[in-house]
Amino acid sequence: MNSSRKAVALAAVVAALSLTATACGGGGSDNKTSTKGAGYDAATTGKVLNASTKKGGTLKLMSPQDVDFLDPARSYYGFVWNIQRLYVRQLLTYDSKPGEAGTKLVPDLAETLPVLSNGGKTYTFKIKKGVKFEDGTAITSKDIKYGIERVFAQDVLSGGPTYLINVLDQGQKYPGPYKDKDPNKLGLKSVLTPDDQTIVFNLKQPNSDFSYLMAISDSSPVPMAKDDGAKYTNHPVATGPYKVASFKPGKETVFERNPNWDPKTDKVHTGLPDKVTFTVTSNPDDMDQRLLSGDVDYAVDGTGVQQAAKIKILQDPKYKANADDPFTGYIRYFAFPQTVAPFDNIECRKAVIYAADPKSLQTARGGPSSGDLGANMLPPGVPGSDKSYDPWGLTAGKPQLDKARAALKACGKPNGFKTTIAVRSNKKPEVATAESLQASLKAINVDVQIAQYDGKNSSSEIGSPTNVKKKGYGIIVMGWGADYNSGAGFLQPLVDGSFILPNGNNNYTMLNDKTVNGLFAQAAAAKTPEEAAPIYGQVNKAIMEKALYLPINFDKALVYRNPRLTNVFYNESMGRLDLAVLGVAK
Amino acid sequence: MTAPLHDSAGETATVDVTADMPAKDIEGRSPGRIAWTRLKRDKVALIGGVVVILLILVAVFAPFIVGLLGHPPNEFHENLLDPDLGTPKGSFGGINSDFLLGVEPTNGRDVFSRIVYGSRISLLVAFLAACVSVVLGSILGSVAGFFGGWVDAVISRVMDLLLAFPQLLFTIALVSVVPNSLWGLSGSGVRMGVLIVVIGFFGWPYIGRIVRGQTMSLREREYVEAARSLGAGRVYILFKELLPNLVAPILVYSTLIIPTNILSEAALSFLGAGVKPPTASWGKMLSDAINTYQADPTYMVVPGIAIFITVLAFNLFGDGLRDALDPKGS
Amino acid sequence: MLVYILRRLLNVVIMLVVVSMVTFGIFFMVPKITGSDPALLYAGRTTDKVAIEGIRKKMGLDKPITTQYGLFLKGVVAGRDYDAGPDTTHCPAPCFGYSFKNEQPVWQDLKDKVPVTLSLASGASILWLLGGVATGVISALRRRTLLDRATMITALAGVSLPIYFTGLVSSAIFVYSLGWLDTINYPDGGLASDPGGWLNAMILPWITLAFLFAATYARLTRATMLEILGEDYIRTARAKGLTESVVIRKHALRSTLTPIITVFGLDLGALLGGAVLTETTFSLPGLGKAAVDAISTGDLPVIMGVTMIAAFFVVMANLVVDLLYAVVDPRVRLT
Repeated sequence: MNSSRKAVALAAVVAALSLTATACGGGGSDNKTSTKGAGYDAATTGKVLNASTKKGGTLKLMSPQDVDFLDPARSYYGFVWNIQRLYVRQLLTYDSKPGEAGTKLVPDLAETLPVLSNGGKTYTFKIKKGVKFEDGTAITSKDIKYGIERVFAQDVLSGGPTYLINVLDQGQKYPGPYKDKDPNKLGLKSVLTPDDQTIVFNLKQPNSDFSYLMAISDSSPVPMAKDDGAKYTNHPVATGPYKVASFKPGKETVFERNPNWDPKTDKVHTGLPDKVTFTVTSNPDDMDQRLLSGDVDYAVDGTGVQQAAKIKILQDPKYKANADDPFTGYIRYFAFPQTVAPFDNIECRKAVIYAADPKSLQTARGGPSSGDLGANMLPPGVPGSDKSYDPWGLTAGKPQLDKARAALKACGKPNGFKTTIAVRSNKKPEVATAESLQASLKAINVDVQIAQYDGKNSSSEIGSPTNVKKKGYGIIVMGWGADYNSGAGFLQPLVDGSFILPNGNNNYTMLNDKTVNGLFAQAAAAKTPEEAAPIYGQVNKAIMEKALYLPINFDKALVYRNPRLTNVFYNESMGRLDLAVLGVAK
Repeated sequence: MTAPLHDSAGETATVDVTADMPAKDIEGRSPGRIAWTRLKRDKVALIGGVVVILLILVAVFAPFIVGLLGHPPNEFHENLLDPDLGTPKGSFGGINSDFLLGVEPTNGRDVFSRIVYGSRISLLVAFLAACVSVVLGSILGSVAGFFGGWVDAVISRVMDLLLAFPQLLFTIALVSVVPNSLWGLSGSGVRMGVLIVVIGFFGWPYIGRIVRGQTMSLREREYVEAARSLGAGRVYILFKELLPNLVAPILVYSTLIIPTNILSEAALSFLGAGVKPPTASWGKMLSDAINTYQADPTYMVVPGIAIFITVLAFNLFGDGLRDALDPKGS
Repeated sequence: MLVYILRRLLNVVIMLVVVSMVTFGIFFMVPKITGSDPALLYAGRTTDKVAIEGIRKKMGLDKPITTQYGLFLKGVVAGRDYDAGPDTTHCPAPCFGYSFKNEQPVWQDLKDKVPVTLSLASGASILWLLGGVATGVISALRRRTLLDRATMITALAGVSLPIYFTGLVSSAIFVYSLGWLDTINYPDGGLASDPGGWLNAMILPWITLAFLFAATYARLTRATMLEILGEDYIRTARAKGLTESVVIRKHALRSTLTPIITVFGLDLGALLGGAVLTETTFSLPGLGKAAVDAISTGDLPVIMGVTMIAAFFVVMANLVVDLLYAVVDPRVRLT
């Protein structure tokens, strides 16, 4: 077992007990003040647009990118997790409510939020009666355990997140159900199923983030009888309002009503449309055209319209009224690896931060609609964030050349230096930001080379600290979004020293600071997310003061919604329209 | 035959062919002289030649031209862009007396300067790749044609094989794995080196086939026979007797392979396998323009026309040269 | 004749094997040289060691390259089985590999892309063959007239225009400015499922591609025609008192077609393997686009598959051209 796993297990301890308290509130009773007629950016304001309970119609989703996997154990794309809200359910899930309520967990297959015992180390869930798979068999605790066990069979089912292994393996080296010696294939010792309605998780340490893990798709139940391993992704068994009626990779997936889904067992999903289609297009411009003409309802990938459509939308009030510019939950930034001179010196890092032109970087990413000027590393929506915190004066939007030159002098490089920016060649906005920084740094005599690498090689290029050092990548352009909505989920892989990996590393600055690591441990031990939140605020301050990052922006995407959509709002847990409740009016 | 006097540019264009020719046109005319006379009559080819020379001058004196008429090619002018849309303010991509060809969307760089600097990449890659093809193609082609037998069989099969390869895909794949520094080069230098080698390498069979064919017919000629009977070695015959007679076709085809190479470089840049930013390249500009061409067509049209004019000029000139050197022509 | 065909077919097989060896070598060795791990590419965001080991085993990356190549060849000829956990997945012949990105045999995926490329290549080739040859013949017959000059300069211009430029300009004009066509979107199922959408998607690619090639063909036809019109047998035919049109149609045109067929076969062969630039410019989901996408995602089996298909078309085109030679030109004897 490598140190990183232990680290995740150890560190991912966020305010668990409290979840009960917050989520029992049921997600902020009624901000469902529905708005008609919409308007620009209206779906991000914490209100539901076109609220309706009317059933019927076909919801038409489109994307230039196909799903990674329909198998819930293997999917990792954010938009696929949203699509999976159509056909798979977990013990817990994010509430289908606008505003902050959407970031809270509520019970779904479970009757209530988990009961914690044994000092926060034991999680017990009771499963609702009457919840069924699409073939009508009841969902039992064993199906949930089996679904979780499948994640351990990484040799067959790779692709998805592996948090569950980190937390539940506990040294037993469980090989997954296919190599399980237990006759019932339920040999994972840390998960117990005393009866069909009860499932018990025994953790090594208290870990409040555990509830978040129970809401990720890979915790969905899977019936053992229908599991054919790698092939399961072509015909997953549904538990939600819809089932997969057909799946043509690279082309189309059709979802039809799941007759064995009982709305009485479900407070989150409403299942309004009769049918949902997901079409993959080879031409994003064509997709935009169809969106604007009302032919398609929602570009489910959520990355926003192409430049051509963007111009149309922003210039035409008719279109603009049906567009939103939501936060995607991503942050775009430059990181300065401390292993590459002269970025071992804080003054040289400060020089680069001061010399950068934030406005120009924003333009390079696509202008104000592509994101708000970022000044720190914790995006809005994550507990503990403070959008106004701006230690380096970046939101003023101008290069601060005097300060930059002073910092350069303090660094002992008054005549500038040479360095290299590593950038993914297939991400045009990232290349554009690298070019912008390169142009800005010329003003203080810092000579920058742009080294492009293929984005698919990220984990071995910038994710390998030895490679970063060897190639002298002094500046790395990247984007980051969390897998689950907690300060630890967002920041820890970036700045906790124990998260440094030989491959696939995300702690590019190689920060291994006792104070920062200690703050994460402290936050993990906190009782509630509310209590942990200010600690994440402190982490954010600590890393910003070290001048390790130059934030570019809090990412936004210009997204068009078909006016015929009902129950429209951006679920803040994922920055996307919530497919659990989205409907269509005729 | 009287030929009207042409401007000096026309003469420079064909300096290779006529370098050793006397200035007066009386008496016995060598093939080179005939060709030159013909070329001088071909106005279209001459125009092509003039444009080629102008382009070479532009590439060579790029810093001077940009200093005079443009802005530094990597300088940002975001104040000239619409802050929300990122496209140039004003019509026709922001063309005005200061920015002769407008500015680039998203960063406001001077398109004129980037076109001027882009010509360097285009021409340099095309010329050097042509050299690679010509050297490989002439040597291997003449060896195959001259020696025949299994040597010919092997080289011919290799040529067939190379022609059967999806070259574009190979090049993209290769370029994507080339490290950022190689052969003591770094940055755009590496990519240019790789482009030159790869384009040149895939181009040699075209020249190789022609040279092979020509060699096969030449080796049966009397003068080769004569050299052989005088006891000349095979290598001597190949390089001293045959190759000089292949200069004309090689020259023609290298002129015609240059425009193909310009298109290859642009295509690779278009597909993202060209030189690295911020180095300006016409193909890269076109591929960037895809994002904005509906709102800012100027930025698409300008590099497209630059490629077009350059390739057309080389083609016109190369065509004229071929006609002029063709012994069967009238 | 039969012996010749058999020998040539054997040649085709050898050629394909060599192409596959070189491709295999390059695409499977290069990551080793550059130090990137193909298994890591497939793992995506996961850096779990078990996952990476599993992928390595599933793809056979743990075996020596010769064994890997042997398995690949076996797959192409006889199909292959892959571990799928509780049981195995069968990848039927021709198995170019198994794409772990979507748990599908590569061939399954590519099969759907062939009709797109086929539509593009066949439509465009008809246009350019007719247009190019006709223009070339007229130009040759009206040699040195204004028409000839204008046609040839236009043709030269056609050769000098990159397709991704003409493609963009034509869609800017006909799709976005004039609105005569809808945005290009190749219908799932092609001609059979939605003829209108198919035509809408193909018409601009056809014309732009045909324009490029027609230019080459016009030049080639003109040059060949002129050469042939100077031959002795044409003079003999004229001397016999045949009308000019008979001389042109029966004698000159027939000989002119021989080199055209050669070039046409090779061009068509190359196009069938994927018109990378055209498909990319117009976002057509054909083989060329699939290959470019596969390169950017590092999907090695797909790259292998497309390369093999492309090489197959090229060598087959070579063979067909040589056979056609014998039919068109009686002077050619196959031995």
